[in-house]
Amino acid sequence: MRSAFVESSFLPFLSSAQNEDGGWGFHAGAMSRAEPTAWALIALLECASTPAHEEAASRAVRFLLAAQLPDGSWASTPESREGCWATSLVCLALHGRNDSSASAMRGLDWLSKELPGDASLFQRLLRRLRLKKSISNQNPLYFGWSWTAGTASWVEPTSCAILSFRAAPAQSLSADAQRRLRMGETMLYDRMCPSGGWNSGNLIVYGGAGEPLVSPTVWALLALQEHPERPEVHKSIQWLESNWQSILGHGSLALALLALHAYGRPGAGLAGPLQARYESNETPWSVPEVAWAALALSGAQDWWKPKSNGKDR
Amino acid sequence: MPRPAPSLIPPFSRPKSRVAIRRSLSYQSDIAQLLFETLRELDPPVQGKTVLLKPNFVCSDPQGTTNTHPAVIAAARESFLRLGASAVLVGDGPALERDTQAVIESMSLREFLGPLSRVFVDLNVDDVARVALRTHASRLKELYLPKTLLGADFLVSMPKMKTHHWAGVTLSLKNMFGVVPGSCYGWPKNALHWAGINPAILDINAAVRPDFAIVDGIMGMEGNGPIQGVPKPCGVLVLGNDPVAVDATCTRVMGLLPEKVNYLARAATLLGHIRPEHIEQIGESISTVRTPFAVLDDYKHLKSKASSSGRTK
Repeated sequence: MRSAFVESSFLPFLSSAQNEDGGWGFHAGAMSRAEPTAWALIALLECASTPAHEEAASRAVRFLLAAQLPDGSWASTPESREGCWATSLVCLALHGRNDSSASAMRGLDWLSKELPGDASLFQRLLRRLRLKKSISNQNPLYFGWSWTAGTASWVEPTSCAILSFRAAPAQSLSADAQRRLRMGETMLYDRMCPSGGWNSGNLIVYGGAGEPLVSPTVWALLALQEHPERPEVHKSIQWLESNWQSILGHGSLALALLALHAYGRPGAGLAGPLQARYESNETPWSVPEVAWAALALSGAQDWWKPKSNGKDR
Repeated sequence: MPRPAPSLIPPFSRPKSRVAIRRSLSYQSDIAQLLFETLRELDPPVQGKTVLLKPNFVCSDPQGTTNTHPAVIAAARESFLRLGASAVLVGDGPALERDTQAVIESMSLREFLGPLSRVFVDLNVDDVARVALRTHASRLKELYLPKTLLGADFLVSMPKMKTHHWAGVTLSLKNMFGVVPGSCYGWPKNALHWAGINPAILDINAAVRPDFAIVDGIMGMEGNGPIQGVPKPCGVLVLGNDPVAVDATCTRVMGLLPEKVNYLARAATLLGHIRPEHIEQIGESISTVRTPFAVLDDYKHLKSKASSSGRTK
């Protein structure tokens, strides 16, 4: 399915916002960073098919390959030499291309070895002893992935890491990676908010129930697609379907549509308002949000699915 | 060119700080005139300067109980322009909600500031530059900070008056966590917590040195702040040329002891004044506006004796 609005507005925006170095910043004219470049690349690969777009995608791949750190990870900003959660997104973008699969696998290898700060036995025991039920009732034994090296596990980086592993050729995942995947999924179930949905990762704070947010809920739902029968998934989809009409941000609306498509739910009610908000043009466009909107309005669902090594998308 | 941060002056050689307390019982009152007159009296050096107002936008806040109220932000912006500032920008990077547009739409910020594209900067996704820290209270060694912040001539911290479940109180110094970009550190900015909240507050403030503080204490928050607490009407605006002194004054207004707030006590050795004899008080006296704020059990030691005899709204 191809949306005319994607062709007439989003793809030209992405083309014009691409920097000379092949990357994208968070906004047009901003410095190239790994995260927005990964999203723009995914959108181009899924929604565009002209030679110009393919050339743009190749330049983006070259930017990302050049930005990969020696340990296989990607940093959040070019000056930094420390890998971070953006590694998951870049791997997601680079899977399945002849020119980048090896780099993506090095990134996944880094992800499978990168432990969050709360994964150490000492930290897990300490948290189990110190955390009162009245402060937080999450299980301190579960961990996933952190935003930055050596810090705690959170819903979004954990979800993105799971998505990235799931998109890799299944036979390429090490036993370590498989174990991390299962632990990450367990952590997500444990962190779901009582009403369904997820926030950044605090389901109870000093006795108060954490309120779910659209963005972490969508990432968790996308990460847990292999388990649609789980009650946590049902409850969270219901939360999303009950709340999309109150979504105020373009990016969150696009993400909600992506999640509903992924679970085969009708998202027709969201597509119109999403396009209308971009047509009103009241706020500057953000590169990742435009990429999500392009994927959502195109109905693209291949970007999170397993790729074969060496097969160009 | 990065804005030169003021030097760290030992308290014995620092001149007295000037802090004003003004009564303002509602957001519908003429806050703009009140702020303008008070600012004219305090005479901040903003003629021809680019001013960055840094409010506290934590999450979506349709009730206006969690974030700095847009009426106060708009009044401050208008006042600094009337005082001769060449430009007054508003910027923040919400800590929990990645969709900043959703946050500012929930607060109707546009209705107060007009079109936001030339006024508001999402510090979470701004271009960044590496800044070496001038102090090493925490485990942080450097920070990536938004270029809009580094390029501003005059930085104003504009928090809401709240208690905080990890730091005791959150005022103008703690508010500086919001300048640390989510695009580098995630949502939440967990690296700051892992570095130690109290020492990280010191390191960030020593690095960016806010020049001025304006605290929205018209409606504060008590108990389990900064999000899940109870709205607390306090009816004051507190502003001054030393954010440490402003925070100490606010803490006293809240019926708490600034000397017992870990990061404030430490800030008093390096960044500003907390002792009353070093603060020139303008406007209302603390005793006439004191409004004891409830705190969690872990912070009972912050309660001052005066708080039990203060007025309660």
